Amino acid sequence: MSENRKTNPFAPFLSALGRALGMPALALLTAFIIGAIVILLTSGDLLAAPTAYWGLIRGALFKQRGLSESLVASIPYVLLSLGLSVGFKSGLFNIGVEGQFYIGALCAAWAGQITTGLPAIIHLPLALLAGAIGGAIWAGVPGYLKMRTGAHEVISTMMMNYVAFRLTEYVITDKLRDVNSTTIQTPSVSPAAELWTFAAIPQRLQDPLNALGVALVLALLTALVVRALADRPDWKAKLGARRGLAIGGSGLLAGLIAFVALPLLTNAWWPFTDAYDRLHTGLIMAVLAAVGVWWLMEKTTPGFELRTVGANPNAARYAGMNITRNVVLAMAISGGLAGLAGTIEVLGVSICRCLPLFFSSGYGFDSIAISLLARNDPFGILAASFLFGAMRNGADLMELSSGVSKYIISLIQALALLFVAAPAIVRWMYRMKAPAGEEKQAPLTRGWGG
Amino acid sequence: MTIALQATGITKRFPGVLANDHVNFTLKQGEIHALLGENGAGKSTLMNILYGLYQPDEGEILLNGQRIQITSPHDAIAQGIGMVHQHFMLVPPLTVTENIMLGQESIQAGSQALGPLALLDRRSVAKRIRELSQRYGLAVDPDATVQDLTVGAQQRVEIVKALYREAQILILDEPTAVLTPQEADDLFVILRNLVAQGKSIIFITHKLREVFAVADQISVMRAGKMAGSVQPAQATRELLAEMMVGRAVILTIDKTDANPANVVLQVENLRVQDDRRHTVVNDISLSVRAGEILGIAGVQGNGQTELTEALTGLRKVVGGQVTILSQDTTHVMPRQISEAGVSHVPEDRHKHGLVLSFSLRDNFVLCTYYQPPFAKGIEIDFPVLEENARKLIKMFDVRTPGASTSAGSLSGGNQQKVIIARELSRPVKLLIASQPTRGLDVGSIEFIHRRIVEARDQGAAVLLISAELDEIMSLSDRIAVMYKGHILSTLDASTATREQLGLLMAGIGGAEPHAPAQRSGNNRRNGPDSPLEAMNV
Ligand SMILES: Nc1ncnc2c1ncn2[C@@H]1O[C@H](COP(=O)(O)OP(=O)(O)OP(=O)(O)O)[C@@H](O)[C@H]1O
Ligand SMILES: [Mg+2]
Repeated sequence: MSENRKTNPFAPFLSALGRALGMPALALLTAFIIGAIVILLTSGDLLAAPTAYWGLIRGALFKQRGLSESLVASIPYVLLSLGLSVGFKSGLFNIGVEGQFYIGALCAAWAGQITTGLPAIIHLPLALLAGAIGGAIWAGVPGYLKMRTGAHEVISTMMMNYVAFRLTEYVITDKLRDVNSTTIQTPSVSPAAELWTFAAIPQRLQDPLNALGVALVLALLTALVVRALADRPDWKAKLGARRGLAIGGSGLLAGLIAFVALPLLTNAWWPFTDAYDRLHTGLIMAVLAAVGVWWLMEKTTPGFELRTVGANPNAARYAGMNITRNVVLAMAISGGLAGLAGTIEVLGVSICRCLPLFFSSGYGFDSIAISLLARNDPFGILAASFLFGAMRNGADLMELSSGVSKYIISLIQALALLFVAAPAIVRWMYRMKAPAGEEKQAPLTRGWGG
Repeated sequence: MTIALQATGITKRFPGVLANDHVNFTLKQGEIHALLGENGAGKSTLMNILYGLYQPDEGEILLNGQRIQITSPHDAIAQGIGMVHQHFMLVPPLTVTENIMLGQESIQAGSQALGPLALLDRRSVAKRIRELSQRYGLAVDPDATVQDLTVGAQQRVEIVKALYREAQILILDEPTAVLTPQEADDLFVILRNLVAQGKSIIFITHKLREVFAVADQISVMRAGKMAGSVQPAQATRELLAEMMVGRAVILTIDKTDANPANVVLQVENLRVQDDRRHTVVNDISLSVRAGEILGIAGVQGNGQTELTEALTGLRKVVGGQVTILSQDTTHVMPRQISEAGVSHVPEDRHKHGLVLSFSLRDNFVLCTYYQPPFAKGIEIDFPVLEENARKLIKMFDVRTPGASTSAGSLSGGNQQKVIIARELSRPVKLLIASQPTRGLDVGSIEFIHRRIVEARDQGAAVLLISAELDEIMSLSDRIAVMYKGHILSTLDASTATREQLGLLMAGIGGAEPHAPAQRSGNNRRNGPDSPLEAMNV
């Protein structure tokens, strides 16, 4: 063994690979390998693991609507993990995302059914906002309690989870029950408050008000992209004083084109023809949320404050930052994203477009694993969420085609997480040297004298 | 004399830095070997290698003539090498005995059968500690709780801990940086006792006085290399300073007389409590004018920390009033104070001064990140931050591979320079500097002192808090001595003598004309050994 440790011929290659792909990828690979070994040992069949993994891949990607369903499952993961990552970066462990998810769903279900008279351009944003605000408040309270009374957020958000579960149950069965339905659920939301599936887009755009809404969103996005590009040195020089004009003009132009052309174009040709395909526009929101969180945390002054408070609250105080405000803000953003995840499930995924009593998710706790796996990087979260969504979606076909229990998925995910949390294990397995920078982690080197 | 430890050709690279470059180092049996060198020269790195915290990229280590591998601190301890770090690795709520047992718990005879439930044998450990402390003259009470001990006493606990583990070689990384001169002298007596009984000691310091006081051999590092090794008899302060820095260093600063103008900081009857609600700043009044430096001398732990925290808004004021530029800042947030033009060099650079995981670029704007030109609206302008960092790194000679390096990977002294650079780079009306040169090399001290005097000459009021009497005496225009929460006396720096200040710092001698009368019994801490009683007024 120790011979091996010194002379593993692959060590340089592996450590290069590890550096390139990052430890998470290597951890994942290792988890799958160990998963295969476990399958082999429990089934005694050499072919069991390949069959199972192939079934997993087919289920996740290639079966009918496989990819769509994987994406649908990853959307709440993205939002919840983003929420968690904002908390982690601000030094807070918001273990209550599951409860905030429920409250968001509840608020959205309520806001979606108050009337059927509003157009989508108002009602949909309203419902989304209601869900996000519900989640934000549900998380903001523990944040405030932490600063006021010292109640640790892990305890208080976990308690708030139970309150959230029981509260939603109560509201669904009593206050907001759909009396016309045989199942216990809230009334379906107004069609105007529904989140569009991709398949429904052409038909939705036929309503000029809807087209206007989409055009506004696209105009804004175009302007933002041009604005980001305009700060590049070469563009800056070229644009000079016309920067504002370029940004506004391009936004306006994009909006106009979208308003006029999109309804016609999508009517003529649209790739999403399968009416039963559940892939919905929450996907776009999830990607935008990832970009937004990245921008907020890395590029803005509030993000700088949040990160400082998370990394060294004493230094944050010294620097004049308001710790209470930042803790509450971090929790509110975190909970808002979680609430949005619940909202999207109600408005875009649930069959009744409502909140049924048996609305189990389990997304919240998986998301803790995802944000750790992605090391709180928003784009890593996109990737890891897709992975978890795909595994969740492919597991059934895996079990069906190979007889391997679908719970092996949880084992693999748990192993991956373990390896990410303790990279030394992976390094030891592949006989890799620790990167020089990480040696500083040695617990005894914190003295300021050196 | 036999050779205890020999390191040859030690090389250690960090990303972008060659921290040790083929370093040779020899420690003889029974000597105190002082290791000097500029900030970032690679001293701590070399010691961390000997203690097994880092693995060298090249080179070998011989212990008593045998080649050894030290792969972890555990390994080092097993080989008889102990290290006392700058920040102690003690668990504050535990007793001295418990701290010393930690990791090497000994078990009561007869209870081994209980396995993991076996009973700890505190008594025999405490006995052993008493023996050790007697033998080496280390005053340590095994039953005291660590959090109640002074820094000096905690350091002695660390030394006893190493001795308890039977260290033959003791590495002390800047042990005197947090000690008062008196405590440092006590430490030297202990070190002498240790070597007299056959131990060998490596001792890192930046203070030349100490090197001459205690070392048998002096090695100097510069820029990762061993610049040379001399015996104290052959060395002078100037020679050592030059070996360290590579040029002649001016050891005394010359400054012109102060031109005090308007009052910038006015403190009246200030009362502040520490975390345990003892009144530690007791009815202090002082004022600092633009263009002058008021030095606060005093043994650490006499309320200086709480005083600065109160002035900068980090600690609640219990009574009295603070006025900065005719604005009442007694109960305002730190942000408002900093925006009034107050720069603060905090005493604890890791706790308050830096975010160690952030890049230098970000640490340089820790207090100004939201102001133009660093931010436009809520967006931070990172190219401007880069530029700012590059400028400050150059101006203040911060030794770092670049602006994106994390503050935590800098050497201690360079971390301090980052803070000073940040605090002096914005418009300063009042500079509150706490131990501004702690842990800095002579060259950097000279540099920082110049900057402070420069700030004064440009019209800033400076409040300098330092345990370093030399620093207080060479920089201040007026000197206030703080003792047990009071200001005993404020002297004119040009006439004050070392002896006079030393006595005042010990609580003996002259009183402020308007010194507060002894308060009736409500202040326990100032009970029987109150400075006022001790002064016999
Ligand atoms: N873990 C690390 N990662 C990256 N660079 C490091 C690390 N530790 C030290 N360095 C770099 O190595 C060099 C030597 O640092 P070291 O701490 O040994 O200096 P030092 O002589 O102890 O200085 P000081 O007197 O300021 O404590 C410095 O440039 C420092 O930035
Ligand atoms: Mg050092």
